[in-house]
Amino acid sequence: MKHFIFIAVIIIFGLLQTTILNYINIFNVKPDLLLISVIIASLNFQPVWAISLSIFAGILKDIFSGNAFGMHTLLFFVWSFLIIKLSRKISFDSDYIKLALLSIVVILNNIITRLIFLFLGNFISLGLFLRITFIESLYTALIFPLVLKFAKTRLIGE
Amino acid sequence: MFKFKKKSLIYTAIFVSFLLLFSILIPTLRTPAFEILKYPLGLFTLISREVEGIIFYHRNFVQNEKLKKEIDFLKKKVNAANEVYLENRRLKNLLSFKQKTHLKVVSARIIGRSADNWSSIVIIDKGSYNGIKRGFVVINYLGLVGRVIETGGSTSKIMLINDPGFGVSAIVQRSRQEGLVSGTLGRSLIMKYLPKDADIRACDVVITSGLTEAYPKGLLIGSVISIGEEFSGLTCYAIIKPTVNLSSIEEVLIIIP
Repeated sequence: MKHFIFIAVIIIFGLLQTTILNYINIFNVKPDLLLISVIIASLNFQPVWAISLSIFAGILKDIFSGNAFGMHTLLFFVWSFLIIKLSRKISFDSDYIKLALLSIVVILNNIITRLIFLFLGNFISLGLFLRITFIESLYTALIFPLVLKFAKTRLIGE
Repeated sequence: MFKFKKKSLIYTAIFVSFLLLFSILIPTLRTPAFEILKYPLGLFTLISREVEGIIFYHRNFVQNEKLKKEIDFLKKKVNAANEVYLENRRLKNLLSFKQKTHLKVVSARIIGRSADNWSSIVIIDKGSYNGIKRGFVVINYLGLVGRVIETGGSTSKIMLINDPGFGVSAIVQRSRQEGLVSGTLGRSLIMKYLPKDADIRACDVVITSGLTEAYPKGLLIGSVISIGEEFSGLTCYAIIKPTVNLSSIEEVLIIIP
């Protein structure tokens, strides 16, 4: 049941990201709620479910984005897979470690996105890239505790 | 002693009253009389107002609460009316543009924006059911907005001109200098592949050249802010400020060829 609730949460996050978050952006940068959902799913659900939910979040992000289709799906799948692998070796029980993990994933996600953009021939200036990466990781990290608290009480049941 | 004082006070009051009445009746004495009376009157009004405030405290308190609620309600109404007014103005502009232009256009409302920070796209409420196809040009009454990159039944995705993947052949209106305008993801656009001796200045207006298929000639793109030299030193580029404020557009027009 909680998996289906999480699917609904992902859909709501996708809709929020395309609508309301545009009005509360900081320097035209908005947080990545879908990436937060990927991290929460990867740390709290069974591997099969976690990867499925991450792929679903990626598909949703691809639908609402203008980039090459499948880019976010692939990236979210990779992040989910790596987090699951990593969580077997490192403990992510502390919320601070989860926050650090999220920040690292956001930064890496942006670096890979920029590399894909360069490969596709779309040039983004370094200044703009750094601004988006820095603000997005900071903004997403700020939102993360709220989402995590909601997930803990309503979805994961910790 | 007291009696005398009281009596004399009454007599003085009556005398002053008569004097004032008399002075008010005579036009020439009216102004100085009012001047004299201004300060005591003000003081009495202040005292009476304070006394009234204390006496009718509860009534005023209730009235205040009621008025506060009324203000909130009216504020909401004013905001709603303001929103309707702004929408009306935008739609009027679109309609007048639609009537003036020779192009066949379909108007649409923006219902969503890009989910990531790396692309500049918007989602509109019109799709293939309304005759919209991939590659159609999107404008508003100010100028070029973007082009359709995907269509569904009743929605379409539009790539805005500030998306890094966007490119359109453009010319400088004054000198007819050609170049390629593309997005930077920021608030400005870049006009690339300009020769080193290109006749281009700040404030020059940039329009579509008509060389890129589907883009009609003469659509306003923006105005030149600054000019710089490419890293290779072979060509120049110009930074362009788009005429359309891309972060706040709510309605667009799609050109049906």
